[in-house]
Amino acid sequence: MANNLKGTVWKAEGYVFAYDIIKQEFWTSALDKEENSKWVMGGVHPDFDQENGFKSNGYSFIVAGHNFAGGGKSIEHVITGLMGAGIKAVIAESFSRLQFRNAINYGLPFITCKGIEAIASTGDELEVDPISGQIKNLSTGKEIQAAPVAPFVAEVAEAGGLISYIQNIIKEGKVDELR
Amino acid sequence: MSGLTLTEKIMAKQSGRDSVRPGELVWADVNSIMTMDYLGKSTFNIFDSLGAKELFDRDKVICVSDHLVPPPTEAFANLLNEWRAIVKAHNITYFYDFGKQGIAHQIMVEDGHVLPGTVSIGTDSHANSYGAVGAVGNAVSVTDAAVAMATGKCWFRVPETVKFHVTGKWQPWVMGKDLSLHIMNMMHWNGDLIYKALEYDGPAMTDLSMGGRISLCNMTVDLGAKNGIVAPDEKTQAYLNGVAKGEWEMVFSDSNAEYEAEYEIDITNVGPVVAKPDNLDDVVNVEKVVGTKLNQIFIGTCTNGRVEDFGIAAAILEGKQVHPDINMLMVPASQTQYLEAMEKGYVSTLVKAGVAIGTSGCAPCFGTHRGVAGDGDVVLSAGNRNMKGRMGSKSAEIYLTSPAVCAASALTGTIADPRDLPMPKNFGVTYGE
Repeated sequence: MANNLKGTVWKAEGYVFAYDIIKQEFWTSALDKEENSKWVMGGVHPDFDQENGFKSNGYSFIVAGHNFAGGGKSIEHVITGLMGAGIKAVIAESFSRLQFRNAINYGLPFITCKGIEAIASTGDELEVDPISGQIKNLSTGKEIQAAPVAPFVAEVAEAGGLISYIQNIIKEGKVDELR
Repeated sequence: MSGLTLTEKIMAKQSGRDSVRPGELVWADVNSIMTMDYLGKSTFNIFDSLGAKELFDRDKVICVSDHLVPPPTEAFANLLNEWRAIVKAHNITYFYDFGKQGIAHQIMVEDGHVLPGTVSIGTDSHANSYGAVGAVGNAVSVTDAAVAMATGKCWFRVPETVKFHVTGKWQPWVMGKDLSLHIMNMMHWNGDLIYKALEYDGPAMTDLSMGGRISLCNMTVDLGAKNGIVAPDEKTQAYLNGVAKGEWEMVFSDSNAEYEAEYEIDITNVGPVVAKPDNLDDVVNVEKVVGTKLNQIFIGTCTNGRVEDFGIAAAILEGKQVHPDINMLMVPASQTQYLEAMEKGYVSTLVKAGVAIGTSGCAPCFGTHRGVAGDGDVVLSAGNRNMKGRMGSKSAEIYLTSPAVCAASALTGTIADPRDLPMPKNFGVTYGE
C-alpha cells in the first residue's frame, strides 16, 4: 500500500450516498475503472453530472462526514469509479460498511478520521500516509491523526486486491490455512 | 474473562476459534452464499477467474431470480438469459427461477438455507435479514461472494455488538417495521451504529413474529450496521422444522457478554412511525404527518411482503374500497408467501378492495420494475429506502412506514393513523399473536 500520498481535496457537504457516486443508469455489469470513472460522483453535485465531470478536476482525495457511500449499495462500481478518477484515498468521519469492505478488497484506502471535516476544504493540498494514519494539510499546516490501516488491509492492497490475493492462495493450495 | 455476544460466538465457531474480540480479522466458514439475477453473472465470472476447480459446495450456492423477473425490458430479458446460462453451467442444486421465484432474502430464510448459529452471505444489501433465525447474515460484494464460492470462506472484521433490550407489550397495529424505524430515529446515521452487530433480545422480541423479526433484521443494513440478530427460540424451531437444509444447534450469547452499548426500549410506548422523504433517519410519529396527500401506496419487498403484511392490509381493507385518488400495489415477497396469502383469502379481499397485485419479486422497490414513481408522485411505501430517485423519478417523494399505516392510508388517500380505525373483527387471528 502506497504511503506519502499527495494531492488536492474535494470536500463533500452532507451525506454522500453510493447511489449518487454512481447513478443507477451506470450500474452496468462492467467493473471497468476507466468506464466507471467517466460518470463517478455524477449525482453528488450538478457540476459533476456530465462525462468526466468529476474526474477532469484532478482531485486526489475526498473528505467527507459520516456514512460516506452509505445507502446500502454493495456495488463495486463506486470504488472502481473513484480509483479510475484518480482518487488515492477517501478520508471521512465514518464509512458505510459495504463500501468500506469493497475499498479494502480493491486496495483503495478509506481512512476513518474523527475531525477531518474541520481541517480540510476543497482545493487544499494534503499529505496522507494510510499506513501510519498521519494526515497533514499542506495548505494550512494543520495535522491530524487518523486510524492506521490493519496489516491484512495492507497485504490485500500489496497483492493488487482480493481477487489476486485469493488467486495466489488457490495456486499455492493454501485455502485451508485461511483463518 | 468476559463472555461472547451472539455474533462473536458465531464468528468464533465459524472461524475455528474459542473466542474472538471486536476488531479482529477472521476468515469464517460460510454456511450458504446467495447470488441473484442482477449481480450473479458478475459473481460467477469472478469465480471463474480465481482458478478454483469447482464450487466449494454446489448445495450451498443459492441462486435466485428476483430483480429482473418478469423482465420489463429487452435489456433485462437478455441479462436474465445470460444469468440462466451461467447458473446451469455451474450445476447449481438450488435455482429459484421464474415461477418458483421470490426475493432472494425471503427464499433464503423461508426455505431453510440459513441455519441458526452459522454465517450466510449474499450479494444484495438486505442479506442482513438472515439474522431473524439467529444467524449472522451479511451483505457482500460480488468479489466477496465469488471468493466464498471458491473457498467456502469470507473475511470479516469482528464487529462490536450493541444490544437493544426490548420489553413491554406490542400495541395493536404496531409492527416490527415500526421498531426498525423507531431505532433509526433514535440512532440516526451519525456513525453510532456503522459496522456494529445489533443484538435484539427481551420479552418483546419473544413475542414478535418471524415475519417481524425478518423486517427488523432486514433494515439493520439501512442503519449502517454489519448485521442484526435475534437469538433462536421455539418460534425459530417451529419455523425451520421441515425446511432447514442441514443440522443446526441453538447458539446464544453468554450471560457475561460484553456489549459496546446497551439500549432499553419499552415497546408499549412505540406507536406507528413514518420516515419522511429523502432521509431514512428523518422519522416521526404518524400523528405528525397525518393528512399528507398521497397518490401511490406500495406494500411489498423483502422488508414487508409476507403473509402477515397481506393479512394486516386485508383486515383493514376488508369490505372497503381503496380511495379513488390512490394507485395501490401489493407484491408478495415470494411465490410461497403469495400462495399462502391466497389460501387464507387475503388476496381476494384485497383485489375486491381495489388493490393491484404484482408478480412476486423485488418489484418497483429499486426503481426499475413495474410500479415506479413518476414526477411529483407522493408514495407511501412499506419498503426499505426513500432516497431521491429510489423508486423512479427524482422528484417523487417517498414516505416509508408499516403495512398497517399503508392500508389505513389507502382508505383516506392521505397518511392515516390505523389506531383511529375500529378494531376489525378478525384482528389478531393471523397478526399480533
